[in-house]
Amino acid sequence: MHGEHIKHDFEPKIVAFVCTWCTYAGADLAGTSRMQYPPNVRVLKFPCTGRIDPVFILRAFQKGADGVLVSGCHPGDCHYMAGNFHARRRFAAFRALLDFVGVDLNRLQFSWVSAAEGGKWVDVVTELTERVRAMGPMPEFKELEHEEQWSTFAEATVDKSGAINTPELKEAYDSIG
Amino acid sequence: MNAKANKNHVTSIEPAYYQAITEAIRKEAAKILKDETVVGVVGYLPGRRKGTASPALVTTVEEAEKLIFSPACVNNLSVYLTKAKKGVLKQGKVGIVAKGCDMRALAGLMTESQLQREDLFIIGVVCPGVYGFGVERTGTLTDANIARKCRECTVHMPEGADVAAGTHTELADLTPEEAQELARIEAMPQAERWAFWKEHFSRCIRCMACRQVCPFCYCEQCLCDKNRPQAVENSPRPAGNMAWHLVRAMHLAGRCGGCAECERVCPMDIPLNLLNRRMAQELKELYDFEAGLTPVDKGPLNEYKENDDQSFIK
Amino acid sequence: MPQIITEQNLRNLIDLLVKEAKLVVGPKLSGSVVLYEPLTAGADLTLDALPRRSSKELFFPICEDILSYKRENGAMKVKDVDRSKFPEAVLIGAPPCDAGSPAILDAVMSWDYKDEFYLERRRKSTIVGIACTKGDDACFCRAVGLAPDAEAGSDLFLTPLKDGSYACNAVTEKGQALVAAHQNLFAEGAGAEPKPFVDQAVAKLDLVKIKKWLEEHFENPLWEKIADICVGCGACAFICPACHCFDINDEGSTDDGVRRKHWDACGFAKFTNHASGHNPRDVQNKRYRNRIMHKFKYYDDKFGKTLCTGCGRCIRACPVGIDIAEILETINTKQD
Repeated sequence: MHGEHIKHDFEPKIVAFVCTWCTYAGADLAGTSRMQYPPNVRVLKFPCTGRIDPVFILRAFQKGADGVLVSGCHPGDCHYMAGNFHARRRFAAFRALLDFVGVDLNRLQFSWVSAAEGGKWVDVVTELTERVRAMGPMPEFKELEHEEQWSTFAEATVDKSGAINTPELKEAYDSIG
Repeated sequence: MNAKANKNHVTSIEPAYYQAITEAIRKEAAKILKDETVVGVVGYLPGRRKGTASPALVTTVEEAEKLIFSPACVNNLSVYLTKAKKGVLKQGKVGIVAKGCDMRALAGLMTESQLQREDLFIIGVVCPGVYGFGVERTGTLTDANIARKCRECTVHMPEGADVAAGTHTELADLTPEEAQELARIEAMPQAERWAFWKEHFSRCIRCMACRQVCPFCYCEQCLCDKNRPQAVENSPRPAGNMAWHLVRAMHLAGRCGGCAECERVCPMDIPLNLLNRRMAQELKELYDFEAGLTPVDKGPLNEYKENDDQSFIK
Repeated sequence: MPQIITEQNLRNLIDLLVKEAKLVVGPKLSGSVVLYEPLTAGADLTLDALPRRSSKELFFPICEDILSYKRENGAMKVKDVDRSKFPEAVLIGAPPCDAGSPAILDAVMSWDYKDEFYLERRRKSTIVGIACTKGDDACFCRAVGLAPDAEAGSDLFLTPLKDGSYACNAVTEKGQALVAAHQNLFAEGAGAEPKPFVDQAVAKLDLVKIKKWLEEHFENPLWEKIADICVGCGACAFICPACHCFDINDEGSTDDGVRRKHWDACGFAKFTNHASGHNPRDVQNKRYRNRIMHKFKYYDDKFGKTLCTGCGRCIRACPVGIDIAEILETINTKQD
């Protein structure tokens, strides 16, 4: 199966927020076991699902994600005893809110993946990626990102000055990182 | 006769009803100020314009004699016990005039250890309802000028108050407009719901009135004011507005007392209480939690059960 | 020679201006509220309610880009705003309390720093003001020296007549040009009687006396009395025709983003918060005092104008019922 690559018209961007103790280790296991899963997923590691704020999910959608995965330890396995229990309630509520404002919940997946479940990680990521691929790009938040108040006239923003050329400014900008 | 037979259901609440409450509040406020039970009383004073009122902190008996209660007494005064105003509590016990919906906020603040019951003297008002926004302020409350939240009020009786002013009276046959609107939105196709909220949020000017009047928005540093790192765009553009209102609704989930002050003060008429109500409804369904008049140990999102629903988790 | 325009022709004028690719802005029903928004047809114009937000956003948008930046091939590229692309605009249907705001704001916007964004928009716009025959108990334009028929700020001024048409007065060259370019929509003649104006509850204020009191009473118990209840939102400032404070924010990443300018308000606790954590206006009544001081003293000191048109929006919108007209009346009657 190595090197097998199907060309798709649409490659969804999937952002995965995972806890470092279980799911990140599970994803790591999938990697070290040479299991294949869609490269569409971008993994962000957190101490615990309890640290994953709903605003991160919003931010991911706003900045171009077509699907979001949140994954952590199975109930009872939390490194911090109860982080995932709290997260479970918080995300149950957040799903209801997103649904109420008209976001398709098929783009948002929650899962428990332990450090031993490399195979489950592959399944979860593959299923979400293919589901989102079938749904197509997520337009809502991305379109919103480009909308302006009527009085803004953003179309007036033009390339006028070009690249910054004074040495001082260049140095200042380059020092930003 | 139905179960409500002992209540008084009428077609209009006359000024005399509010006048009686006014007298009771004045008497009580004067008494507790005079015997130094409290250092001040947060109540309402009349405004310059006919049929308006505004919050006030009174500290003398003379001022207490001017306190009023009328359908214009819309504010949830518990906001004055948190945030920048919490200094008033440092000076000693405070009296506060509270309607049922305001008392839910007080209870929630006690749940969150922001207030201590023994620091408060609650002058409860048996409230038949208050004015909606932009209605005719005639002094009489009717079906035509009652606030939307009051149409479905379940807390007319301020149970748990130190004293209660008024006798239970309600307007008869009020249609639950907000519940109907909530059902209408929930029945919409998903894309329509998005369009509905997008239109409303795009109008937002980020004046933060919704945040500032909310008794529960007492954070010293609001997430939405930060720009390094920036979680929610500070600029009043549609993108940041959507994020702000979702974050706000989420932060209030399981805490909101349902006073609907956020919706009342919105200068752009965004129906914010619908979000709060939808969240309250969800938390009732999932965890059987309802904001009530008595403090609880923990709110629904601050506790958990091992067998909580996880059907949405793979 | 006096001229009149019928209501239908006023709407036809809007249709024509839209066809001429002008940005035509006027009161329009937007959801459940009336706002100043671009009109796509004359039929959109709604003249029966004062819009919730003032017309200042045509010149001073709620949010605008100042520049955008992007790192490309290791170099930071900055894009500027080409202000020549701002559209020619016509503001139609603004009552004197809105039409009058640019006449006040021009001074500060072209003072030590010339705000090129504001000035370019201002240069390219024509204001068609309309005398106000409505009003409620929050209105106090007469008290601050304006009037329901004040022409200040308007290029073309319309006065509603009893027969439904409008008497026109081209106040400026821009106004004359607008009429001249659409002469067939205007008729000569005096027309019917003007519609009567509504009485206002607030008597004319002695602004000189108020300013003098403010000069002498920076520290005064009055501030605590009136503003301890202020909850510190920006509703009053944002919907005000004259408030013009703004904040600048960089939004995006270190590699790609936009510098945006957007409305700010002195009522916010963060407004004067220093990076050190020190806040010179540490309590709310000092912030509210600044609102009054700026409007009735500081602006007058610098530009000889009062930063208030008496539209009453802040009175209607204040979550806690702070009534600026009542405060001014209180100061106006002070003896000390």
